[in-house]
Amino acid sequence: MTRLYDLASTIRSKNAGVNQITFDIIFPDPQSYRRALASSALTKERIAKLFGIPLSRMSDYVTFDPANAIKFTIYRLRPSGSPGDWDILGCQQYGPLLEVEIP
Amino acid sequence: MAQSTRQELKVLISTGHLGTAPSNPESFHLGMEANPDFVVADGGSSDPGPVYLGEDTTLGHFVREELELFLTASRRKGIPLVIGSAGDTGSNRGVDEFVGIIKDLAQEHGIPKFRIGYFYSEVPGDYLKRKLRAGQQLTGLGGFPDLTEAEIDSATRVIAVAGVHPFLELLDRGADVIIAGRCGDINFTAGPCIHRGFPEPLAYHMGKMIECASLVAEPFMGKETIIGTISHDDIRITPYHPQQRCTVASVAGHSMYERENPYYERTLGGTLDMQECRYEQHDERTARITGAKWIPARELRVKIEGAKKIGERYMGFVGLRDPHMVRNVDAAIEWSRTAVAKRFPNAKYELYFHVFGRNGVLKELEPVKHTAAHELAVVVEGLAANDALAEKITDFAVRMFFLARIPGVKGTAGAAATTKKTMKSSPGYMWNVNHTVPIDDPMELFPVHMTEAGI
Repeated sequence: MTRLYDLASTIRSKNAGVNQITFDIIFPDPQSYRRALASSALTKERIAKLFGIPLSRMSDYVTFDPANAIKFTIYRLRPSGSPGDWDILGCQQYGPLLEVEIP
Repeated sequence: MAQSTRQELKVLISTGHLGTAPSNPESFHLGMEANPDFVVADGGSSDPGPVYLGEDTTLGHFVREELELFLTASRRKGIPLVIGSAGDTGSNRGVDEFVGIIKDLAQEHGIPKFRIGYFYSEVPGDYLKRKLRAGQQLTGLGGFPDLTEAEIDSATRVIAVAGVHPFLELLDRGADVIIAGRCGDINFTAGPCIHRGFPEPLAYHMGKMIECASLVAEPFMGKETIIGTISHDDIRITPYHPQQRCTVASVAGHSMYERENPYYERTLGGTLDMQECRYEQHDERTARITGAKWIPARELRVKIEGAKKIGERYMGFVGLRDPHMVRNVDAAIEWSRTAVAKRFPNAKYELYFHVFGRNGVLKELEPVKHTAAHELAVVVEGLAANDALAEKITDFAVRMFFLARIPGVKGTAGAAATTKKTMKSSPGYMWNVNHTVPIDDPMELFPVHMTEAGI
């Protein structure tokens, strides 16, 4: 088992428009990218479970070969910067991904 | 538009958001030595939240310094300077403020006369209501329901997001400096490239690649200069900080940044299709990109943005160190919330409790449900229609932690540590316009103007 933190080169989250947050997991080479994809640890369903959201909150899930990347996007409950939001840029939402174990 | 007789065009950019922090001058001047054809910068975006558009204020504290660096360097070389989304939001006030700063700087530095082109992008509410009454649909983006008259009325200000069109018009009129209202991040670069006759797909893709300046390169560094070079066959991206490189990984990674999908970028007039893009290493520090496609839109739809006010806002800070209080933080929040409801039964207010040390950042997305922290911070955020009520409610909610009656607490002098006075924050706003509107002419909402500056 390897932690995603040790396998991926970039793990980030950021606003994609005012009502969505997009997550990028970028691997340093095709081998580690393929390994992560083959492991099923980062499927749409597993990610939804990690963040405790229904699949309907995930607007996009794409694997992007040119960047060796997995990308998914979720809807916010209220738009960015609404009262009660403490991550206007959505740039700290990726935290839980670092601890995901990749077999 | 005249076909370019030149083989390539270089666009320099040193910041992804003008004014938040200064561009680093060393790489900027190195870039200027490479003789770019344009200097561009993004003045803003919707990213900093709805308060700036709602209140019509500028976020950055370094706007004047940045414009001074860009204006003096570009005028010295006699090349155009293009600034997108002036004043963060591209409001009319933001555009006028930036034009005023440019004129002041021109005087101050004794710059020979030059022409400023600028355009506005605010949309009158009546214009939108006429569209609705004519049966046109103002379609919600990113999960927003379609726009209603009530939401139009409650927005303090609505702006439209321009395509390349006003840039082309102002360059045709001979602008040396362009100060844009709100525009798509890719268009203040794509406009100049298209104006000089380079292919649309590459022009838009270059706009996408360089919009955040050095974030396209590695290792991670903000506010450093890069140059995008467009030819009739490719685009190339080169960083000017000596320690940065553009690699296949860094440019491919950046091409999917800040968008819900890595393959498409929509803007007024069409969609950039990056499905068949190829990313290659050109030389040690430069990446080469080819293969973008441009799909013109069948129907012209412009994006609009707007925010409505929720209320005046205060914040208070509470510290919990008693392990029993840490374990019972939810009970303490409930105590405070209930006490406010009882004390202010007829008031309209909103109250939020941010529990740092548990889920202050992620809220409902946080998988860690039980904190191992030995102390917690609770930030109480309270909003109400007027300042006095917002302060009173927020302060009361904070005091209720101190007075919380949680069974089993041994400390009888106070159940929570509190700070000084509850603090005034910005008013609270919420994005309520995030829609598209059908238009007949891509210039329809973007009146252009010319003025002069310098001596």
